Amino acid sequence: MSGGSIPSNFLKNVLNNGIGRYVCQMKRVTFKFCKQRNDSQGTRDFIENHLLDFTNAHPGVVVYIQPRNNRPSKIVAEYLNGRSEGIATTKMPQEEICQWLEHLRTRSGAEIVRLRKNHHTDNPSTQGVWHPFTNKDTSLNLAKFPDNDSYKVPSTVSTTDRLLEMGRKLRQEKLSEKS
Amino acid sequence: MANNRVLQWATFARTWWIFDANHQCHIKSAKRIALYLQGKHKPIYHPLSDIGDHVVVINTAGISMRNDFWRKWKYNHHTGYAGGHSVTSAWRLHELDQTKVVEKSVYATLPGNLLRRRMMRRLHLFTDDNVPDDILQNVTDQIRQVTVVPRLIQEYTQEELDAMPKLFDWPDDYEIEFKRRKEDDEIKKYLK
Repeated sequence: MSGGSIPSNFLKNVLNNGIGRYVCQMKRVTFKFCKQRNDSQGTRDFIENHLLDFTNAHPGVVVYIQPRNNRPSKIVAEYLNGRSEGIATTKMPQEEICQWLEHLRTRSGAEIVRLRKNHHTDNPSTQGVWHPFTNKDTSLNLAKFPDNDSYKVPSTVSTTDRLLEMGRKLRQEKLSEKS
Repeated sequence: MANNRVLQWATFARTWWIFDANHQCHIKSAKRIALYLQGKHKPIYHPLSDIGDHVVVINTAGISMRNDFWRKWKYNHHTGYAGGHSVTSAWRLHELDQTKVVEKSVYATLPGNLLRRRMMRRLHLFTDDNVPDDILQNVTDQIRQVTVVPRLIQEYTQEELDAMPKLFDWPDDYEIEFKRRKEDDEIKKYLK
C-alpha cells in the first residue's frame, strides 16, 4: 500500500468538545454475545458484574444487550457523528472488556487515520498571512519598469580610476617641481 | 476563519519580475533568475508546490562573457542519428538567436524535475528593451543585476580621453576588435 492510498486526515476535534463542557460522543453501545459458547464467558461476566455500574456512571449512553446463538461476542459503539466502531471480544476476560469499553466511550468517533500534521490551529497567523507584497516598499506602487538605475550593482573604484588618479598626482608633482 | 480560502489567493499569487541582462554574465544571471522562477525567494517555498514567478529578461542581446568565452564556450547537440553531433560556439549561437544563450543557461540551472518545462514557460526573453505592453504592465518589481555595468569607451567624453595617460599611439590601421570568422552561407541563411 502506498502513502496515497492509506487514508489520511488533519487533526481535528468535534466542535471544540471539552473546551468549557464535555459531551460524550458515544450515544449507543451494543453488547453482542452468545449464552452458551465459552468464548463469550468474559462478556457474560462483564454484564453480570460491571454493566450496571457503567450505566449508572454514564446515563447519556444507551446500552443494548443482544444475545445471539453460536455467534462470536462483540461490542459495537455508535457515535454522534454517525459512525460506529466494533470490537471483537471473543475469549476476552471481563477486565479487558472494561478497558475496551472505556476506550470506546472516550473516543470522539472520528476515524483513526494517519495524521498529515500533528498540530492544528483555527487562527493560523495573528499578523496576517504572507503575500507577495508583504514588507514591500510602497514606492514600488508608482515605479516605472524597467528602472535603469536603482537595480544596478553599485560600481566601486576601478583600477582605471586608480591609475588615472595616480597619473594626475604625478603630473601635479612635476608641475610643482618646475615651479 | 471563514475567509481563509480567499486569503491564500493572495499568498499563492504569481508576480512578475523584470531583469536587465545588459552587460551581465549569463551564468550568474541564470543562477539569480532561477531562484525567482522556482519561487525560492518566497517564505512559503516548497519544492513540490508550483509557486514560481514570471521573469521578463530584457536586453539579452547585450549579455557578456569573460575572457574569450564567446569563442571557447561550446554548445553540444546530438540529433540521435549517426553523425548527428554538432558543436556550436557561443558567439555563433548568439548570432543565430540572441535569446538562446540565456535560455540555455537558465534551463541548465533549473532542477531537472517535472516542473522545469513549466518554469521555463514563465521566462520571457527579449533581445532589447522593447517589451509588449501586455507583459510590461504585469511587472511589479525588478531583479537586481549581478555584475557592474562597465563604462564603454564611447561613453567617455573627448576631454576624458585626452587626459587618459598613454604610453604610445596605436597605428591607424590597427584592428582592436577580435577578428571574426568569415560568415559562411549557412549562417547567412539563418540571419536573413
